[in-house]
Amino acid sequence: MPNQHLARGILLAAIALAFGLGALRYNMGSLVHAGPGLFPLLLSGLLLVLALITIVQSRFLEAEPLDFNLKNIALIMLALGGFVIISKYVAMIFGIAFLVFVASLAGSSHSWKRSLQVTVALIVVAFIFQKFLGLHLRLI
Amino acid sequence: MEMLQNLAFGFEHALTIQNLAYCALGCVVGTVIGLLPGLGPLATISLLLPLTYSIPTDSALIMLAGIYYGAQYGDSVSAITMKIPHASSIVACIDGYQMTLKGKTGLALFTAGVSSFIGGTVAIVVLASLAPTLGQVGLLFGPADYCALMLLGFMCVSIVTTGSLVSGLAMCLIGVLLGQIGTDVETGVQRFTFNIHALIDGVSLVSVALGCFGIAEIAKNLDAREERTPFNGKIHLMPTWGEFKRIIPSALRGSAVGSLLGILPGGGPTIAQFAAYAVDKKVSKYRDEIGSGCIEGVAGQAAADEAAARTSFIPLMSLGIPENALMALMMAAFIIKGVQPGPNMLSKHPDLFWGLVASMWIGNCFLLILNVPLVRFWLSVFKIPYNVLFPSILFFCCIGTYSVNNNLDDVIVTAAFGCLGYMFMRLSMDPAPLMLGFILGPMLEEYFRRAMILSRGSFEVFVTRPISATLIALMVLLVAGQLFFTVRGIRAGRRSDLEPAQPV
Repeated sequence: MPNQHLARGILLAAIALAFGLGALRYNMGSLVHAGPGLFPLLLSGLLLVLALITIVQSRFLEAEPLDFNLKNIALIMLALGGFVIISKYVAMIFGIAFLVFVASLAGSSHSWKRSLQVTVALIVVAFIFQKFLGLHLRLI
Repeated sequence: MEMLQNLAFGFEHALTIQNLAYCALGCVVGTVIGLLPGLGPLATISLLLPLTYSIPTDSALIMLAGIYYGAQYGDSVSAITMKIPHASSIVACIDGYQMTLKGKTGLALFTAGVSSFIGGTVAIVVLASLAPTLGQVGLLFGPADYCALMLLGFMCVSIVTTGSLVSGLAMCLIGVLLGQIGTDVETGVQRFTFNIHALIDGVSLVSVALGCFGIAEIAKNLDAREERTPFNGKIHLMPTWGEFKRIIPSALRGSAVGSLLGILPGGGPTIAQFAAYAVDKKVSKYRDEIGSGCIEGVAGQAAADEAAARTSFIPLMSLGIPENALMALMMAAFIIKGVQPGPNMLSKHPDLFWGLVASMWIGNCFLLILNVPLVRFWLSVFKIPYNVLFPSILFFCCIGTYSVNNNLDDVIVTAAFGCLGYMFMRLSMDPAPLMLGFILGPMLEEYFRRAMILSRGSFEVFVTRPISATLIALMVLLVAGQLFFTVRGIRAGRRSDLEPAQPV
């Protein structure tokens, strides 16, 4: 089981390096006339220091296990991704249906009937948003 | 007397039919989201930001503020009746829930409602008298001082929300870095956009907030798989005179503690509740009963909660620097509506400032009505099963992100932040400092550049200016304190490791 503290440090270091190396591609300028790359470089340098502190600290702290439940977050991502693609190429009402049916699979219990009821209710809400609040939803 | 005149001026603006309606709407929405799991005030306010484009400035801000302090009320109701705090009312669970177990739910809810009202009222007096004075101080701040103040704010928020300076500050920095995505305002260079069209204007605030707080929270709740049992007990609201008399001193103490802690950087409702509870435990006449379900345990913290929620507007409206993530979001709302919060706000938009202050007191009255006599009605909201609720919340997140720019690609950005937020959550990294960093990031960069231009590229300016030197000294103290506690903690941990090995 990976240690949570160590994983945190590694994630921070990865983010710091990603932004820091990216910042090197931009013009630095000088401190008086800072270029676009200077500020992000300073920040990611600082973040890298904090990441190293976290990694060193993880040697001293008691290890806490890391638990990921991939299923739920993956289902939610799938539901959101599907919503975008279907809304873009077909119509938003089918996107809403996809969103509700796929997301419901992550719930503690799911029934087709309830998902259908939720879908219908949300489509009605979407129509209300479109008509009364003036949102530009391409529902059909 | 000037304060009374100003407040009267504010009430003139707040008491129009339109503003009253938006205030009531904000309070109702706030109460509901405070009660329900899954959407905290942060996510809700960012969700509603795009909807406020078409509402007049004062009404929009009044409504958003109402959502914020309304959520604190609603939260305490769910904490008292079911021991479920969503955002902030962790302390209300202790004595409040004990009172429910004793069958005194009604009394606990009444106490919480009335104390919150007292806390809110005291805080408004503090706000009305202190904000103009502090605004004068704000005019003395130069760019270097603002940089130092923001950094100090980052540190305080880190310590308060995560308990660890390193991990909190790291989250702030990630937030600032995320704020760098997009076109650099000064040079026009696109930074970290990877030529993706949706990123040219930067990552939208709504995407970050809904991703890290909305979607990640849903995934967390789904992982927990807890079935909530709705509250079905009897509620007897009216207290006896003796009980009522016990509420007042404790609530006043809580108001004072809350008002003070609300102003300090990194402060806010959560820490104020703990402090007020601790104070009551020390000085209350009934201190022996606290913890087993007594009035003082509920009254003090509820008053502090509401008081701090309001006084935390003071740094935002007088210095222009938000002190916690939620205030940062309020600042974004101000800016979207074309109002720059800060020392000049009072002279440029006095109607807005005093109107908002007055509306807080009106909101207080609405919330008292909503949460005391009508509380039974709200408890039925709990009967909605989570399996119906969470697909709907996902849908609102989609619509909210989409309607910022009418662009479906933004929903993908939100989903990506949901994924990132879930990862942060599983690694016990609190996203609240990230939010603060994200919103303050562009401001920090601008002030930093300005300070450097004024000082001709020398960092000395941070220690030669008295204001920033003081702030930096405070930061050094914080770092030293944190270092001390960390080392002591590690030593204590080692000692306890060794203990079992010793012969008895």
